Amino acid sequence: MTKSVIQPLESYRLAQYAVPIPCYICDTDNTFDAEFCTHCLAPMALAHQANFQKTRPQMIAVVGAADAGKTVYLGMLIDMLSRQLDRMQLLARGAFSITLQQTTLSALARCEFPPKTPNEPDRWNWVHCQVRRPQLRQVMELIMPDMAGEALLEEVDHPHTFRVIRSFLEKCTGALILIDTVKLQEGMPEQDFFTMKLLTTLSELANDPKHGWSKRPVALILSKADQCDECREDPGGYAKAHAVGLWQYCQERFHCHKFFATGVAGACAWRESLSEGRVQVPLRVEPHGIVEPFEWLLDKLGAKWERG
Amino acid sequence: MGREKNHVIRGVTSLCCMVILGLAWMARNLWLATGGAVGLCYVLWRIARASRGSAEEATSTNASHPRPPATVPLPQRPATSRQPVDPGDTDGLVGQMLAQERFALLLRPKIAANLSGAHLRRAQEALEQNMALVPDGEVVLGRIDEALQDGKLNEEEIAAAQGRLIQVERFFLDRFPVTNQQFYAFVADGGYEQMAFWDESIWPAVLDLVDRTGMPGPRYWQDGCFRPAEKDHPVVGVSWYEASAYARWVGKRLPTDAEWVKAGSWPVPLSSTTRLQRRYPWGDTMDRKRANLWNPRRARSVPVNQYAEGVSVGGVYQLIGNVWEWTSGNFRAGDHLAGKLELPTPMKSIRGGAFDTYFDNQATCQFQSGENPLGRRHNIGFRCAVGVCDLVLTRQPPSVEEPADGEPGDGDPGDGEAGVAEAGVAEAAAPQPVSIAEEVRA
Repeated sequence: MTKSVIQPLESYRLAQYAVPIPCYICDTDNTFDAEFCTHCLAPMALAHQANFQKTRPQMIAVVGAADAGKTVYLGMLIDMLSRQLDRMQLLARGAFSITLQQTTLSALARCEFPPKTPNEPDRWNWVHCQVRRPQLRQVMELIMPDMAGEALLEEVDHPHTFRVIRSFLEKCTGALILIDTVKLQEGMPEQDFFTMKLLTTLSELANDPKHGWSKRPVALILSKADQCDECREDPGGYAKAHAVGLWQYCQERFHCHKFFATGVAGACAWRESLSEGRVQVPLRVEPHGIVEPFEWLLDKLGAKWERG
Repeated sequence: MGREKNHVIRGVTSLCCMVILGLAWMARNLWLATGGAVGLCYVLWRIARASRGSAEEATSTNASHPRPPATVPLPQRPATSRQPVDPGDTDGLVGQMLAQERFALLLRPKIAANLSGAHLRRAQEALEQNMALVPDGEVVLGRIDEALQDGKLNEEEIAAAQGRLIQVERFFLDRFPVTNQQFYAFVADGGYEQMAFWDESIWPAVLDLVDRTGMPGPRYWQDGCFRPAEKDHPVVGVSWYEASAYARWVGKRLPTDAEWVKAGSWPVPLSSTTRLQRRYPWGDTMDRKRANLWNPRRARSVPVNQYAEGVSVGGVYQLIGNVWEWTSGNFRAGDHLAGKLELPTPMKSIRGGAFDTYFDNQATCQFQSGENPLGRRHNIGFRCAVGVCDLVLTRQPPSVEEPADGEPGDGDPGDGEAGVAEAGVAEAAAPQPVSIAEEVRA
């Protein structure tokens, strides 16, 4: 037996479906109601927000090996800049941009580090924000995702495993690369090698001599420097002494680079956890050197600032 | 620098425009004159706009900057004489020791037995001026932050929060953290060469405790001296052993954890089972105007007499903020917010937070962090304490309850601070008259 129902035509929806919306990261066309890009899994909210603004957001990569401290650095940076009033201010765009700040700061206030970033791109925290320099009346729109270290390593070793990483790195105007100082201090060469692999990948992605990565600003941040006073006082000298290959590579291939030292925890200890095993915990939170690399990078992107 | 450069460019441009205008006037060239006039107007407009902008900026800066923190005058310190004093000259020796702020040493029973009443009065005046009396009583130590929500604790809450109830005897605590200038007197008196002040276990490392230029002294000093502008800043870059050695030199000791918490949180017993214990020295709510904690505009220490509004009930300043303070106790991993911990090295306890402490909940009286005792960090200083029972006082301070057996300290046997205090008790028990110079040397 059939039953007749009134079905609204909703022709406007057909019209919306007819207009493709390109993903802001990989430019693949998506439907208007897609939450994530069907090709690279980047959030489509980035594209929607970019369409509503007159200025195109710049992209800055925050990359490094697993456990180098990317999530803590990015979360802390956002929180510190959002508390500043004079030199540089940061205003988050969209609720999803605050999630990273919320997760990181809540964990640090409890004297814990935030949980590990999952490998799946659709579970990463993407930060879309506006950075303002009130004294110079300048504004810049930025997109900075918190990518998983394992995913980055996978993409570097096996290209095209994570499409979003490749597309994103191609478009980035600058990079903040984190290197674990504690591992360098222990004489583990993995950090050195991984960062060199990452830099090689960047060079290959955009090797144009005028606009390629050789000319783009790269801030090399020695993280966890609170546990190494030598690094904290002279990060460049420390890199030259403990990451010779990386230091030499940067001198040769990257014309606009600088080493920085950063730290968030004053001292650390270990805790046994049933669910996570042996985890490191900060004994107190006293950030230093967080804003300086970011400020340097944005200074180097001078032409990208807009009048605000 | 950039602003000065802009002013120079504008000045030169306006001068050029005026020259063009003058030349055009002389040459009767209308087009040139018009061009010069337009240029001059443009430059004048830019100057007017820039000056308006800087005035607005100055106004907004004044509006956004809060009024400077209140300061309190530091106790007057007698001038230090570098001239060697004759060991037989009691007046000279007492004067020198008072100038070095070693009044507590003068009030130790063995030395006090050799001093006249006038000398003792001077020493006690210095003591009362520089140190605050903290009465005896019980204090809860441990993870009680969650239970402190209402400020009142009962026995169940204390037990649930793994707190420990500790009895503290009457003691004096420095009103201010030890400053660079005070520590300089120790360095200048050869404190780093006199091994009697140092723990025997640390003797091999003392030669390595040098400043930036390799001279004995705190890590961030140069040529054995602090920067003149930081005379009244708390001394930092000192390890736990350096702090302990200084404390011995002045006849004091580092406070125990319980003493430090008691001085800040000032517990008040409401009944036999309930007590009121503050989260901060001024109350239960953080007020960043009362403590030098993380601030985007200023990430450094300030003189010890600033932030006077953060004073404790007993008159102790800067317990919270500016610099962390070494205590004599070991860092108990179980007391930390994060729970039971495994430490990379044995650590000593630090308390109070510093100028770069980010979270309010890590700058409470209860919060404890740890640091390697050999660590010489940019944000860790100290202040000293001395038990009332370790001193000979001409006027007895008001007492809440007389100590029953005369034992000093907090009754916390695990803290490892007993050495100096017990020595004080031994001295008090059997004062032997000896010469002052001999005793100080000893």
